[in-house]
Amino acid sequence: MRYFLQRLLQLLIVVFAVTFTVSLALGAIPNAEERILAAKGSGAINEVEKNKLLDSLNLRDPTLVQYGHFVQDLVTLDWGTTFNGNQPISTSISDGLKISIRLMIYGQLIALLLAIPIALMAAYRNGGIFDRASTTVSFGFISMPNYVLATVLGLLFTVRWQWFPAISEDIGFFASPWEHFKNFFLPTIVLALPLAATYMRLLRADLINTLQSDFITTARAKGVGTGRILFGHALRPSLFSLVTAAAVNVGALVGGSVVVETAFNLNGLGRRTVLGIFASEFRLVQVTVVILALVYVTINFIVDILYGFLDPRVRAGRLG
Amino acid sequence: MTDIATNTTTDSTAVALPHDEPSAPRKFRRRGRITKWISAAWLVFIVFTAIGASWLPYVNHSCSQFSNEKLCTTHLDTNPLLSERPPSWAFFSDTTRPVVGGAPERFGVFGTDTNGFDIFSRTMFGARNSLLIGAMSIIFGILIGGALGLIAGYVGKKVDKVIDTIMNIFLAFPALLLAIFIVGFFDSGTTSEAKSRSIVPIIIALVILSIPPLARLVRANTIVYSQREFVLAARSLGAKNGRIILREILPNVMPAMVTFAITGMAVLIVAEGALAYLGLSVSAPTPTWGAMIFGGQAKLETAWWISIMPSIVLFLTVLAINLLGDALSEKFRIREAIG
Repeated sequence: MRYFLQRLLQLLIVVFAVTFTVSLALGAIPNAEERILAAKGSGAINEVEKNKLLDSLNLRDPTLVQYGHFVQDLVTLDWGTTFNGNQPISTSISDGLKISIRLMIYGQLIALLLAIPIALMAAYRNGGIFDRASTTVSFGFISMPNYVLATVLGLLFTVRWQWFPAISEDIGFFASPWEHFKNFFLPTIVLALPLAATYMRLLRADLINTLQSDFITTARAKGVGTGRILFGHALRPSLFSLVTAAAVNVGALVGGSVVVETAFNLNGLGRRTVLGIFASEFRLVQVTVVILALVYVTINFIVDILYGFLDPRVRAGRLG
Repeated sequence: MTDIATNTTTDSTAVALPHDEPSAPRKFRRRGRITKWISAAWLVFIVFTAIGASWLPYVNHSCSQFSNEKLCTTHLDTNPLLSERPPSWAFFSDTTRPVVGGAPERFGVFGTDTNGFDIFSRTMFGARNSLLIGAMSIIFGILIGGALGLIAGYVGKKVDKVIDTIMNIFLAFPALLLAIFIVGFFDSGTTSEAKSRSIVPIIIALVILSIPPLARLVRANTIVYSQREFVLAARSLGAKNGRIILREILPNVMPAMVTFAITGMAVLIVAEGALAYLGLSVSAPTPTWGAMIFGGQAKLETAWWISIMPSIVLFLTVLAINLLGDALSEKFRIREAIG
C-alpha cells in the first residue's frame, strides 16, 4: 500500500509538471502571437476577432493564471478549434487517435505472433542453426531505422510490384475488408518487424533461463512432450519482460509512430501533431502532447503497480 | 585503494544481476569475432572518409571520361548533364533523364541525384554531419546525464528523488515529438520565412533525449558501487565526496556508461535521420544521411538509388555500431538496467 501511494504521488507530480511545461511552452515560443495570426491567415481577421482569439488562449495573462485556464479547458474538454479552418480540436484528435490506435493494435499483434513462436523455437535449440539465423535477422531489424524499412518495402511492394498503394488511405474494416487490409498492410509491417525483433530477443533470453531450471528437467524426466514443455511449462514464467515491454509500448506507439504515419501518409495522432508544429497550430499540439504523455505515464504506472503486485522484490525496492 | 577500484571492473557484474545468456558454442563465438572485425573495419572506413572527405580524391571530386568529354561533379556542384544517373554497376536500371552532351548513361559508385550531385560524395560528406551530430550529442549526454546519475546515486535521498522525477518528466513526452518541438522551438520567425537551420538545435534536442536513460543507468550503477567496501575504505581514510565520486565510483561505472553510450550513438544517428525524414534537419545544401534519404523519397519510382544508397550506408553503420556495442556489453557483462 505504501508502495502504491508513493508511485501515485510520483505520478501526480509528473502529471502536474507535464501540464505545466506544456502550458508554459506556448508563452515561451518566440513570436507566438504573430505565428498564430499567420496560421489563421491574418489578412482576413479584424481587430476584434484577433483580440478574441488571443484572449481565448490567455496568452497575455500571468503564468499561473494561464496554467489555471489551461487545466480548466483540458478538464472541461473545452479544447477550442484549430486556427486554420476552425475544426474542433477534439474531432481532429479523435480522428487521429482512431488511426493510431488501429495501427498500434495491428503492429503489436503481428509482432507478438511473430516473436513468440520464433523465440520458442530459437530457445529450444539454443545455439542451433535456427537460433543463430533468427538472432542475426532480428539484430538486422533492430538496427534498421523504420524510415529505411519503409523506403525499402515501399520500393519493392508499391513501385516494383504495385501490390499495395504507396499512400495508405484510412478505409474502415467494415467498409471494405480487402481494401482495409491493402491500405494497412505495409504500415503495420514496418511497425511490427522491429518490434517483433525486440520482443523475440527479450523472450528468447528469458526462455533460455527458464529452460535450465529444475522443474523443466523434472517435466522432461516425467516424459512430457516438447510442445507441452514449451507452451505449458516454460512460456508462462518467461513472459515477464515481454509483457512489460509490450505494455510500455502501448503508450509509446500511439504517439511514437510518427515516422510510419508520415511514410504512408496516414493522418494518425503523431503525424497530426508534427504537422501542427509546422503549421503553428499550438493549441492542437498542446492538447495532443498532454494526452499522449498522460496515456504513457498512466500505462507505466499501471505496469509498475502490477509489477509490484506480482513480484514482492520490486515493492521492497531491491530491483531496479 | 585505487587498485581495488580498478580490479573490481573486471570481476563483478555492472549491475548486480546475473548474466542471462549461457555462453554460446565455440564455433559461434569465432564467427562472432569475425563480424566484430568487419564491423570495426566498416566504422574505421566511414570515420576515415568522413574526416578526409574534403581531401580524398574520389569523394571530393568525381569525373567520368565519356565520348571524349570529361564530366565532373562534386557533392555541391550541380551538373544538369548528370541528373539522376543510376550507379555504374546497376545494369538493370536506366535513367529517365535525357542523355545528351556525351553524358554517360550510368555514373559513379552510388549514382547521382536530381541536381547531378554525386551520391557517394554526398553520402561521405553526410557521414561527417551525421556522425558529428551523433558523437557531439552523446558526449554532452554523457557529461550531463552521467553527472546527474552520479550525484543522484551517490547523494541519494531527496536529491535522488528530485533528479529521478525530473527524468521521469522528460521520459513522459514521446521522444520524437519532444525532439521535434525543441528543434521547432529554435526556428525563430514566422512560418513563411525561409529557414536556415544549423546543427546546434538538433544537437540540443538529441542531448536532451539522451540524458534521462544515461542518468538512470549511471544512477543504478552508482548505487551498487557506493555501497562497496572500497568506497567505505576511502571514506574512512578521509577522502572527500568529490574524490570518492571521481576516483572510486566513476572508473567502475565507466564501462557500463561507455557501452551504453556507443549503442546510444547509433540511436541518436537514427533519430537525426527521423528528424530529417520529417523535414527537420540541417538545411540544404548541407547533407546528412537522413536528409538524403528524405530527399529521394519522391523519386523512388524513377530513381531508387537516391534514397536507397544512403539508406544502405546508414543501416550498415548502425548495424556495425550495434554489433560492437553488443560485443562490449558481453565483455563487461552488462545487462541493460534501464526501463
